[in-house]
Amino acid sequence: MEPAEAELFRLADDEYVLAERYTEWQIYAPTPESDLALANIAQDEFGHARLWYDLLEEEYGYDEPDLLWERDPADFVHSTLVELETPEGDWADTVVRGYLYDAAERLRLEALEDSSFEPIADRVPKVQGEEEYHREHAQSWLDRLTDSADSRERVQAAVDQLFPHAMTLFAPTVDEDEILDAGVRSRSLADLREDWLDEVVPYLDSLGVAVPDPEDVVRPEPLGRDGSHTDDWFDLHDEFTASYRELGFDEPAELRGENA
Amino acid sequence: MIWEVFRQEEPGDRHTHCGNVHAPDEEMATLFAQVQHGRRMQTNSLWVAPKEEIGEVDADDTEFGGTTDKSYRWAITYNNIDASFAEEVAESEADQEEHAEKRGGT
Repeated sequence: MEPAEAELFRLADDEYVLAERYTEWQIYAPTPESDLALANIAQDEFGHARLWYDLLEEEYGYDEPDLLWERDPADFVHSTLVELETPEGDWADTVVRGYLYDAAERLRLEALEDSSFEPIADRVPKVQGEEEYHREHAQSWLDRLTDSADSRERVQAAVDQLFPHAMTLFAPTVDEDEILDAGVRSRSLADLREDWLDEVVPYLDSLGVAVPDPEDVVRPEPLGRDGSHTDDWFDLHDEFTASYRELGFDEPAELRGENA
Repeated sequence: MIWEVFRQEEPGDRHTHCGNVHAPDEEMATLFAQVQHGRRMQTNSLWVAPKEEIGEVDADDTEFGGTTDKSYRWAITYNNIDASFAEEVAESEADQEEHAEKRGGT
């Protein structure tokens, strides 16, 4: 696989799957306002996934069924952070997930601003412009959820649950060395992870939320990036491809004749 | 808590009331208002103001402009002429009639 192609799959799959999970809140978010705000963010993420998947189509000859509807779920390379099922009604989970992801996303996009693969560099400013609202949204919620002891406990529980999975944001794919050598991304995953820790650990700390020591974290076995995933992902994949399968493209409906 | 939202389309325009949002504080109100009132329409700026801080006086509380019949201010008594020769006169008359109707007619 070409290095830029590999980086595009990381980008696209992360955004697409995160948006799928955000969308599950539709009509269930705590208030109509928070519902709309999250729907707006989900729509942005779908839009960004579209930008990256479109590039895979234009530059590498894929079509939409190859990329989404007919791709083996074990070929998706998103981080396990974005695929986990949202515990029912757990708004803190979504807020924490969004925060951990958006902080990493900013750093990754910065490292793509001068990508040697121009079509990626060209699209970065548009995406960054929208990501700013996402970070503001996540942090505004975190600031408020940690205001009282009860809800701070729920934030803490979400951080404990999600942090190990967030580490997989920085797990390499087999193409990592080529991605760096070719200058597709200017910074290594290890560097990005370092910057990310420097940002999220002190911030969560300042809110009275303890972050597990990254070295002591028991890593979840699936890494996402290598195609291994939690069961949650396979269920989600089944759900979002259900309509496509039900349409039965391999057996087109006939208007006339014996199969009509 | 309800925040009234005012939207300005272009720099220099007035901020006009466009709806409200529920939010616990000013920062969340601006965050929600962006999506709810600034996403679809062209927007240069939004104001949010706590509903309870907005003062109101309405027609039940007062007689706006006093109780004297001021219909004489609207010169529609003299409109039995064809004013089509002067566009601005026609516009002005239409304007005056419209206001008179809103006031309950004279």
